[in-house]
Amino acid sequence: MSPLNAIPSYSAGFTQPIAPLPNNDVSDIPSQLPSATSVGASDFSSMLGKFVSEVNTQQLNASQQVGALQSGANVPLHQAVISMEEASVSFQMMVEVRNRLLESYQEIMRMQV
Amino acid sequence: MIELLSGIKNTSAALEAERTRLDVIAQNIANAHTTRDVDGQPYQRRVVVFENQLQNAMGAGATDGSDLPAMQVASIQRDPRPPLQVYDPGNPAADGKGMVSMPNINIHEEMADMISASRTFEANLAVVKNARSMAMQTLAIGRH
Repeated sequence: MSPLNAIPSYSAGFTQPIAPLPNNDVSDIPSQLPSATSVGASDFSSMLGKFVSEVNTQQLNASQQVGALQSGANVPLHQAVISMEEASVSFQMMVEVRNRLLESYQEIMRMQV
Repeated sequence: MIELLSGIKNTSAALEAERTRLDVIAQNIANAHTTRDVDGQPYQRRVVVFENQLQNAMGAGATDGSDLPAMQVASIQRDPRPPLQVYDPGNPAADGKGMVSMPNINIHEEMADMISASRTFEANLAVVKNARSMAMQTLAIGRH
C-alpha cells in the first residue's frame, strides 16, 4: 500500500471530506512531541554555545602556541602548526554548522502555507 | 576537546620523537672528533631509544583509535662499541704509542640514520596532511 492510499481523501478521489486524525485528541499532540519549545531549545543553544566556545578555545590555544614560538619559547614547530590546523578545521566545522542551520531556516521560510 | 583530526596526538608525539632523534644525530656528527667528553673519555655515540607510552591501560580495548598509545623517547643511551684507535702522534690526547682514542662514530652511519629520521618525519607529516584533508572532505559532505 503506497503512502498516498493510506490517506482516505486521496484514495476516494477527493470526494470525501478529510477524515480526522485517528487520534481525536489533538490537544495532547504537543505533549507527545519532545518539548521543542522549552527544554529542547535551551539544550540545543547551550550545546551550540559549548561548541562555539570550544572552537574559540582552540583558536586561543593556537595563537598562544604561535606567540610562544615567535617569542622564542621552547615550543616545537610542528606542535604549533598542528594546533593551528586543528583550530582551522574546527572553525570550518563551525562555519559548516552555521551554513546548515541557515539553510534549514531559509528552507522553512520558503515553505508554502 | 573535540577531535576532528584523527590520530593527530600519536603523530604529534612521533614528530617530537623524530625531532629528538635528529637532534641526537646532529650531536653525534658534531662530536665526531671530540676526544674529551664531559667524563674525560672520548665521546661515545648516543642512541635514541623509543618506547610505546601507555596512555590509558583501561582503554586498551577501545576501537575508536582515541586511546591508542603514543610513542615517545624512552632514553638516550650510549653506544657500547669501543672507541676507534687512530695513529696520530701529534694529537695532545695521544698515548705513549701515538694512538688516539677517537669517538666510535661512523659518519656514514650517522648520515644513513639522518636520512631515515627525516623520511620518518616526512611520513608523519604526510599523515597530518591526510588527516586534515579527510576532515575537510568530510565537512564537505552534502555541499553542492
